Amino acid sequence: MSLNFFDQFMSPTLLGVPLIAVAMMFPWTLLPTPTNRWLNNRTLTLQNWFIGRFTNQLLQPLNTGGHKWAMILTMLMIFLMSLNLLGLLPYTFTPTTQLSLNMGLAIPFWLATVLLGLRNQPTAALGHLLPEGTPTLLIPILIIIETISLLIRPLALGVRLTANLTAGHLLMQLIATAAFVLLPMMPTVALLTTLVLFLLTLLEIAVAMIQAYVFVLLLSLYLQENV
Amino acid sequence: MPQLNPSPWLLILLFSWLIFLTMLPSKTQLHTFPNMPSTQNMCKQEPEPWTWPWA
Repeated sequence: MSLNFFDQFMSPTLLGVPLIAVAMMFPWTLLPTPTNRWLNNRTLTLQNWFIGRFTNQLLQPLNTGGHKWAMILTMLMIFLMSLNLLGLLPYTFTPTTQLSLNMGLAIPFWLATVLLGLRNQPTAALGHLLPEGTPTLLIPILIIIETISLLIRPLALGVRLTANLTAGHLLMQLIATAAFVLLPMMPTVALLTTLVLFLLTLLEIAVAMIQAYVFVLLLSLYLQENV
Repeated sequence: MPQLNPSPWLLILLFSWLIFLTMLPSKTQLHTFPNMPSTQNMCKQEPEPWTWPWA
């Protein structure tokens, strides 16, 4: 069985222990639990600042009913961002490259927003299926199109995160392999490839944070429509 | 693509939600923001004289 580049995404096990469990439990050791002390250390202060600013920013467009979702959306952001960023370290496993995890997060959250909308304001929720000012002849087909676009949202959410992270990791592995293989033959080219790898790593750090943010932002938008 | 292998899907789903619902709330909820922002006073407050401790 020959090794291929996709094997890095196999859910790893070591001595029967699924390492994805370890990968998902580790980030919280880096996030200290706040106590009731007024004076915190720098880590806690920085995290507090981040959480406060993020929650403020995310909840501004939502009305008061949507503010109940503050904690869970912030939790989701912290979850995704820490898993994404820690996965960029060498030899770590990124749980968010697993489609199962991302779909497992996307579908329940999306379904919750849809059911919330249908239960509390069914007319408004269904009204989102038809944009304002549509010509009368186009109404049936547009409703179909909007329904399909509604149903495809969780799939898009999950697959977007999976694909972005998988592609990034794959690209990094490819370019690193190229640099390594070129090193004995053409060292200068290997150096340039390493430079590309460095820039790609910077991009991946940005992508890790942005994709987590986009996930949560889109969910807040779906919530905005329905609450 | 190994991500499409369905065998660990249920376990990953359950475990990720377990971590999400048990470990994260304590880390997130306890971050409090104690200072309630207040509007600035329009008039400058006149300070009352106070006794210095060494006077």
